[in-house]
Amino acid sequence: MAEKLKEIERSAQEVIDSFVEAAKDLPELKETYYSQETFNVVRPDGEPAPEKERTEFRKRFISNMPGSDDKGNLRVEVARWVER
Amino acid sequence: MGRTLEKLESIRQGELSAVDNVWRALENIEKLDKKINSFIELNPNAVAEAEAVHRRLQKGEKVGRLAGLVIGVKSNINVTGLRATCASRTLDNYVSTYDADVVKRVRAEGGIVIGVNNMDEFACGSSGETSAFGPTDNPAAPGHIPGGSSSGGGAAIAAGLCDLCLGTDTGGSIRNPASHCGVVGVKPTYGLVPRQGLIDLGMSLDQIGPIAPDVVGAAMLLETIAGKTQNECVMFDVDQVEYLDRLGDGVKGMKVGVSPKFRELTDPAVMGVIDRSVDKLRDLGAEIVDVQLPNLERGLTAYYLIVSVEFFSGTRKFDGRRYGKKIEDVCGDEVLRRILRGRYISQKEYRGKFYQRALQVRTLVKQELMAALEKVDVIVGPTVPKLPHRFGAKLTPMEMYAYDYLTIPTNLAGICGGVVKAGEVGGIPVGLQVQGKVLGEPDMFRVMHVLEATA
Repeated sequence: MAEKLKEIERSAQEVIDSFVEAAKDLPELKETYYSQETFNVVRPDGEPAPEKERTEFRKRFISNMPGSDDKGNLRVEVARWVER
Repeated sequence: MGRTLEKLESIRQGELSAVDNVWRALENIEKLDKKINSFIELNPNAVAEAEAVHRRLQKGEKVGRLAGLVIGVKSNINVTGLRATCASRTLDNYVSTYDADVVKRVRAEGGIVIGVNNMDEFACGSSGETSAFGPTDNPAAPGHIPGGSSSGGGAAIAAGLCDLCLGTDTGGSIRNPASHCGVVGVKPTYGLVPRQGLIDLGMSLDQIGPIAPDVVGAAMLLETIAGKTQNECVMFDVDQVEYLDRLGDGVKGMKVGVSPKFRELTDPAVMGVIDRSVDKLRDLGAEIVDVQLPNLERGLTAYYLIVSVEFFSGTRKFDGRRYGKKIEDVCGDEVLRRILRGRYISQKEYRGKFYQRALQVRTLVKQELMAALEKVDVIVGPTVPKLPHRFGAKLTPMEMYAYDYLTIPTNLAGICGGVVKAGEVGGIPVGLQVQGKVLGEPDMFRVMHVLEATA
């Protein structure tokens, strides 16, 4: 596993190195974070979803929890540094 | 007329019921998909949903434009009640709690979601080999990779297992499998289609788009899913789009760009097929114009830096605490490689050494493409620089990334790109890519339609 991880790290580094090489002669430019600057970034608040949809959402949402107690509450890992 | 319109017409005329269409798809999947492996999960309610469409048709009620068509959805798009696994063990028990906006739109138009398509794990791949649910075969060239990451969608359409598919494209993930499988695929302009409900790979690059057996099918599906919604803020202020009405306008008088850079980067056999298609466009009245894209290939490594940083950021929620498993504990090599690379770049990002520099290269590639598209209506060229490899071939990560040389620039610039089959080399399909301007889908579809008709 350690060997495999080392190989993955090496190939990750290879891409970075080849990028640095490919970009070394290029001019300084403004960075492009998103391809367009004319997006509709202001949006109104929507109507809440119908009651039935919200109830089913909650049921499904809870079913994805990794652990729950007998009342359906989310059971989470207690951090190691917490004193009990 | 084409496969999609014929199917729609026969459903509307009552020659084929929506229910029979679903049953046929299920039978074909049962018969053929054990070998192809293009679906991860099927929708248990598909027949009931088809019955509802059928009843509306029988009563003469108005139905949507996709009424009765069978649709596959890539496994990184949420479909209520079905698992959105991203083909990873990280989310193998994660059941979607809601429909993505694109899925809501498909359902509103009468489309029946038949199931969830296989893909490269978390969309990190160009071959269809990295899924935790096993690789997908290429029905158009058995034993070869189907391309990726929307491998299941490309293969399902090529095998006729469903009518249309929704894929996603971050650096070529719709266009690459469309090319290898000999089908039609479109990466829409960034910001045209809502990404709400998509489990992202790179948020500044991802777009959801259609995979179809023909250009009409792709245009119809894109008409269905495009347009602004209040659930998505990174979008153009576009309400509705129309592509079908201009599909048959031909290419006479259009300016079509070709770049000598494509020949430098592409296998001569693949380029030969593309050259013949360019000749056809010239014969049909298009003006062929040389355009210069001198830094096109520099986009490749810049893309892999940008996408790794965005992927690293996007996957921090997969910590195994609220749902699923911790991603680093169960993911495959390529996913881990991108996470480690993204983490490394984020840690070392001082004085704009890597990420900011990659964003500058993105600007350069975008500027060159935009300048070229000021001179022409579309740019045509190969989609993938080489033919798909056989399963079992060992490729280094850099060799694998090289599949994406010609598709990545479209995502970096945020423009649209569509793929249509141009021919074959030794029985393996070769797709031609048509790149259009920002919101230039009408011209892109026109050229694709002409090429499809002359293929």
